[in-house]
Amino acid sequence: MKVQSMRNARRKDILSGYLFILPGLIGFSLFVGYPLIVSIYYSMTEWSGFNTPKYIGFENFNYLFNEDPTFYPSLKSTFLYVITSVPLLLICGLLLALLLNKQVKGIRIFRTLFYLPVVLPTVAVITLWGFVYNPQFGLANQVLGWIGLPSSDWLSGEHSALFSLIVMSLWGVGGTMIIFLGGLQSVPKDLYEASEVDGASSWRKFWSITLPMITPILFLQFIIGLIASFQIFEQAQILTDGGPGFATYFLNFSIYKSAFNENDFGYAIAKVWVLFFIVMAFTVVSYRFANRHVYYENED
Amino acid sequence: MPLSVFLRYTLQVLGSITMIYPVLWMLTIALKPNDEVFKIPPEFLPSDFLWSNFIDATTKISFWPIFLNTSIITVAATIGAVVSSILIGYGISRINFPGRNFFFYIFLGSQMLPGMVSLVPTFVLFKSIGWYNTWYPLIVPAFLGNPFFIFLARQFFRGIPKSYDEAAKIDGAGHWKILWKVIVPMCMPMVVTMVIFQFRGSWNDYLGPLIYLGDKEMWTLSLAIKGYMGGMEYGSSWNLFMAADLIYMMPMLLLFFFAQKYFMQGLGSLNSAGIK
Repeated sequence: MKVQSMRNARRKDILSGYLFILPGLIGFSLFVGYPLIVSIYYSMTEWSGFNTPKYIGFENFNYLFNEDPTFYPSLKSTFLYVITSVPLLLICGLLLALLLNKQVKGIRIFRTLFYLPVVLPTVAVITLWGFVYNPQFGLANQVLGWIGLPSSDWLSGEHSALFSLIVMSLWGVGGTMIIFLGGLQSVPKDLYEASEVDGASSWRKFWSITLPMITPILFLQFIIGLIASFQIFEQAQILTDGGPGFATYFLNFSIYKSAFNENDFGYAIAKVWVLFFIVMAFTVVSYRFANRHVYYENED
Repeated sequence: MPLSVFLRYTLQVLGSITMIYPVLWMLTIALKPNDEVFKIPPEFLPSDFLWSNFIDATTKISFWPIFLNTSIITVAATIGAVVSSILIGYGISRINFPGRNFFFYIFLGSQMLPGMVSLVPTFVLFKSIGWYNTWYPLIVPAFLGNPFFIFLARQFFRGIPKSYDEAAKIDGAGHWKILWKVIVPMCMPMVVTMVIFQFRGSWNDYLGPLIYLGDKEMWTLSLAIKGYMGGMEYGSSWNLFMAADLIYMMPMLLLFFFAQKYFMQGLGSLNSAGIK
């Protein structure tokens, strides 16, 4: 009797378990599983999104790598953006966190002010910067004027557009800062005390204690930043339309263009896969590197 | 005051002024008469604080209906994401069934996928069932769980001793009752964090509305604000645009000031320690 009722209870648990996670199962199938599978096929088709996809083998990839005049410029601008904005965000975020780590009067207000831009809606921020970068009446050229520098074309200059977007991305450094701040505060205090007994300078303490101890957070931030900045899109769509020239024609933006402006869905999905593999490759290489250089406390 | 402390303060003050300056600049423009915006050399403060700009910006064009659209979508998606993620989190952390860890990692892993991978197939799917130009694509997916929230719920729920469930079970409560009457009330900070994150996500969302909403009547604020920039609505009235943009920011600012500690902690939850 008892075994029977236990078996029933177990069966009931399995049933209710799956019932509870049912929304997730549906969501995963619809928005991850299904798109992943069909988009492998779609990447090998010519397809406007309205007609039936026509199988063309690797023609999309062939065109992308060998003929499309926009592909390599878009790769270039994407890489330039990623390799400058990600390290800059990490370095500035860490420096800010170090600056705001001491418990002094008013520290909360400073932290709040640094964090404030992060809470503003993306589009509100991007449009605001559109005005900031206005060559005639914008704030950016005003500031250059104050410090005696010649004014710039900002977003409308072929050589300054990407730089302008990077400066803009740094306005969100508060997000990185807050995570580093948490990391800094979780470094055990006794390590610092011990090193003080040994007479270590603050410089030495930073390089020998702080930095090694926060490598896991540094690494996590690096990966998150990498994935996010490879997918930069809104800035180009709202402010520059990929221009001037191909200066801000980011890969993700070109995917959007192919799909929703040119109705070339098959080709867009082929590009999605290329972007996906680039991101994956970077992530895997970083993990390899991290295994050797990131210090995890509970490992030993 | 020692030099190092003085230096630290100076850097903090200068840095935070730099960070906040674009918003102040925006606010002063929103309050100026429009011709003063284009004065050379520019003056920081308006000669006359025109608070009426905020009224003009929102009544001359159909602004409030779009504000309402955004609010409806945001509230609906927030309810959906929080409730469904709590359900899923409960399932994989407190009901013992085969495969629960497998599915947890599946859900978590799906967050790694770049959004664009699923965007096009999902778009075609929604379009084929007639959901183009409706709010469904922006609301319904939220009801199917959010990977980050599922992760959060699992973390919180696993920290609660099983004895609570067993005590409730003896009183005759089922899983549904245990979850909502026992577990969730103990995890209110988690719920608040989820609400804030989803509210923010939906309020800020641009790509979703961009590809799904065609008619202006259906638009959300993110689309509208982008349209107003250099659009016909405000013409060259920078002051009105800035006023509208500030109103778009306002719910986020209010949320931030009232729930600051959740913002800071929630993002800090990537590492176990909170920020002191």
